Amino acid sequence: MVVVFLLLLLMPSSRSATSISVVDRNVVVGEMGEMLQLRKRRRRRRGHVSLLTCVVGFLFLCQVSRLAAAAVLHRHQRISGSAGDVLEDNPVGRLKVFVYELPSKYNKDWLEKDPRCLTHMFAAEEFVHDFLLTSPVRTHNPKEADWFYTPVYTTCDLMPNGLPLPFKSPRIMRSAISYISTHWPYWNRTEGADHFFVVPHDFGACFHYQEEKAIERGVLPLLKHATLVQTFGQNHHVCLKEGSIVVPPYAPPEKMQSRFIPLSTPRSIFVYFRGLFYDVGNDPEGGYYARGARAAVWENFKDNPLFDISTQHPSTYYEDMQRAIFCLCPLGWAPWSPRLVEGVIFGCIPVIIADDIVLPFADAIPWEKIGVFVAEKDVPNLDKILSSISPEQVLEKQRLLANPAMKQAMLFSQPALPGDAFHQILNGLARKLPHDPHIYLEPGQMVLNWTEGPVGDLKPW
Amino acid sequence: MKKAAGSHRPTRMRSKNRSGFSSDQTSDTAFRSTSISFFRIFIQCMFCIGTLIVGFRFTREAHFLRASFHHPEDSFSRRTGARMGSLVSIGNRSDLDLRIQEEIANDPEAFRLENSETIIRSRVRVDVGRHAILIRPWPHPDPFEVIQAHHLIARVQMEQWQLYGSKESKPIIAITTTFVRSFQAVHLTGLLHTLSLVPVHVTWIVMEAGGVTNETAYFLSKARVHRLLHLGFGDAMPAGLKERGQLEAHMRVEGLRYVREEKMEGIVVFADESNLHSLDFFTEAQKVDWVGALSIGLLGFAGFEETAQSRIADVHQEEVGAGRRDNLFSRRTFEPQVQGPSCDSEGNLVGWHIFDPLPLEEEVYTGIMLAQNRRLEWPNFVLNARAVWKTEGNQPEWIKSWDEWATPKDGSAPDIKAILRDDKQVKVLGDCGRKVLLWWLRAEARADSRHPANWVLDENLEIIVPAKSTPWPDRPVRVPPPPPPPAAATVGTGSKRGAGSRVSGGKGRRSKRRQSRPNIS
Repeated sequence: MVVVFLLLLLMPSSRSATSISVVDRNVVVGEMGEMLQLRKRRRRRRGHVSLLTCVVGFLFLCQVSRLAAAAVLHRHQRISGSAGDVLEDNPVGRLKVFVYELPSKYNKDWLEKDPRCLTHMFAAEEFVHDFLLTSPVRTHNPKEADWFYTPVYTTCDLMPNGLPLPFKSPRIMRSAISYISTHWPYWNRTEGADHFFVVPHDFGACFHYQEEKAIERGVLPLLKHATLVQTFGQNHHVCLKEGSIVVPPYAPPEKMQSRFIPLSTPRSIFVYFRGLFYDVGNDPEGGYYARGARAAVWENFKDNPLFDISTQHPSTYYEDMQRAIFCLCPLGWAPWSPRLVEGVIFGCIPVIIADDIVLPFADAIPWEKIGVFVAEKDVPNLDKILSSISPEQVLEKQRLLANPAMKQAMLFSQPALPGDAFHQILNGLARKLPHDPHIYLEPGQMVLNWTEGPVGDLKPW
Repeated sequence: MKKAAGSHRPTRMRSKNRSGFSSDQTSDTAFRSTSISFFRIFIQCMFCIGTLIVGFRFTREAHFLRASFHHPEDSFSRRTGARMGSLVSIGNRSDLDLRIQEEIANDPEAFRLENSETIIRSRVRVDVGRHAILIRPWPHPDPFEVIQAHHLIARVQMEQWQLYGSKESKPIIAITTTFVRSFQAVHLTGLLHTLSLVPVHVTWIVMEAGGVTNETAYFLSKARVHRLLHLGFGDAMPAGLKERGQLEAHMRVEGLRYVREEKMEGIVVFADESNLHSLDFFTEAQKVDWVGALSIGLLGFAGFEETAQSRIADVHQEEVGAGRRDNLFSRRTFEPQVQGPSCDSEGNLVGWHIFDPLPLEEEVYTGIMLAQNRRLEWPNFVLNARAVWKTEGNQPEWIKSWDEWATPKDGSAPDIKAILRDDKQVKVLGDCGRKVLLWWLRAEARADSRHPANWVLDENLEIIVPAKSTPWPDRPVRVPPPPPPPAAATVGTGSKRGAGSRVSGGKGRRSKRRQSRPNIS
């Protein structure tokens, strides 16, 4: 390193600069050396030496920082997905979001009625609203906004047992949209193409918990052009619109981060899973719940000592996940579950058993390199598949999981930290900019059909 | 089935052909009767089949029967799914259902959805509806896969240790004294395997009384330690236990002198060969700054089966009075005897628990002893190797210098506890001595035992006594003739004796052994 530095300083204007690049890393230095030669020939020699020292000093610092980063990163690896190395992008300055002021019956009243909305797995809609109100990307001037956010809590109508009822959600959403379209001109300008909504329910904007009914309903017709931020993601499915941003379900960050055990605790459980295999209440005959995949896991592996699977929920659930190498994340009634988030936080490699699933932030996170994907028809061979993964691959996946950027991206942290799920959502929205000029409609041009959809949805709320 | 009237006798022959193909049906009545009865049979069959279908519920057992591994795409197809779907939604869906019914009751118009049979299939690639639960024909673990998984687990744990665990690991220096005797194999094998499993670098210094011998070297060659030093000590091991203890102390000091001269780094552990170590002991030893003390449990009493507690209880029983035998059993709880540091509630060292480890010709004392002839054992202490180095300026002042403690002026055996000027500075390990991480198995053969050391008989014993002590006649044992040897077979010299020669009891008594079969070449 020092030798290179000195050689460049003493270098005559000849082609010896390229001969310095003996190590791969120093190819950059060699190329820079060539560029320097050209510059010298064009320019006069005045200020030549000072320029050279500046450039070389800068290169030196780059190399040193890269080496330092490489030394730290042997424990974890950089993550770059299909959109590039975008996990750590900062969205501030790249987009502006205008938050509509809706009457409290759309958001706050629901929270007052049932504060459980802030702790269940659909709490993303509340937290995104909270975050955007105080975020630097928020703008109070709608004329300069790139994206418009409507804070309507459609998943907050809870039953006594805590599950949300989606029956009123289409009407609530319609009512909110008609409100914003009458009070502001921006909805009609684009028919919602530069608006985004957070719909964390089971099947997103299809607003039903049962898959068949959800497919029948399809995405709410009024949201046809809008961008949806949802937890549901499945390819070739009606309820995943093109251009949606898939986010992880809400998992309480403090609860998980307070239960870490020392990293030197050896991982001695091979496969770990806690949850239902048969949903006797809703699916007494079997075969519907999880498309039979969870039942297949139980029937094939209940006596396998490598599989620590059970329906009993222990008090050491989080600690056990940290002692496990693989954590099963099979589908349930919907393909997504908070197990994925928990597995990533605790360093347990997620084994995803859900055909065609789209995982959160799939363009920023290369999930195939991090998790293990098993087709539902291959579930009876799960032990063969998992034990035949080579140790190097397993260690590689663990290194990727150990990356703090990865763990941060899965959490809706309070307060918001750089790189967390809020910022990934904003990054995703920023990547969709600039808007296609075709979305701006002529005044008077109507594309959406406000009377489309089941009759029950058209009732005002 | 009722037969058609009027067609019995004259058409008996034809009645046989009724179910089949009645070719000669000439009379109208006959023709009508056969068609009616054929029709009836047909109806009856149809009804039978219909009851079978309707009555056969699709239970989970039906799933298991029909689910076969070779037809993964044979989902309980969407048609059944659609039909059953509507059934299920009406069925018992607990709270959700009640709420649905409530909502429907409130506003029936709103929930008139389309018929669930018309699922929009074209836009969904994964089937919605009922699927088979796939179970492979032999749903049990395969041993090879289990082994592979365990290799994976071991590799992951090794990586974890390297990344997160090995930062605070100092190498271990184990000092062991040994000598060739019957039980050397028993003790040394266990110790060498334990030391091979310690995850840090181990330097094993073996001091052998009586000089370096081949038998010991043979054992030590199997150890997988970082560095092995096999040193000899001139004097042979004496017979008496007290003298043995003194010679061992001298040998250990000799080992420490080696550490001192070579300036070895690490933690010195006195790994006696008759000790059983748990691997936690080596992890706990890492916490030592200068001198650490921990508890050692005592197992076994040479020659006696009863424990000291029961002997005390016996004594007490005699005092109280005979006739209450059951009390003795109820009070006979085994309390392992533990020797080591003892702390108060804050964790400060206040004293030592010492037991007299000699065989029970003498009384057994419990409690804290301060008498001079009761000593702590060397394995109770763990040292930082720097405590015995020459550069005495670096040591804390409560550690005596080498010359002061290692060679006592009055000629008595050195004691490790003498290295301390101040007992209180000792770091107490193992949860303040409450956790016992190593055990002293005090089982030893008699000093005059002539059993070969490594439990292999190279030549015949001097005296062979026939094992037969029963009046039954010898049975000729049929041995299948061995396969013809491929090349010139040299007869092994009696090394094929494994199964027969087991020593009974640890006393080294010459037990009767089965006459070994001569080799048949």
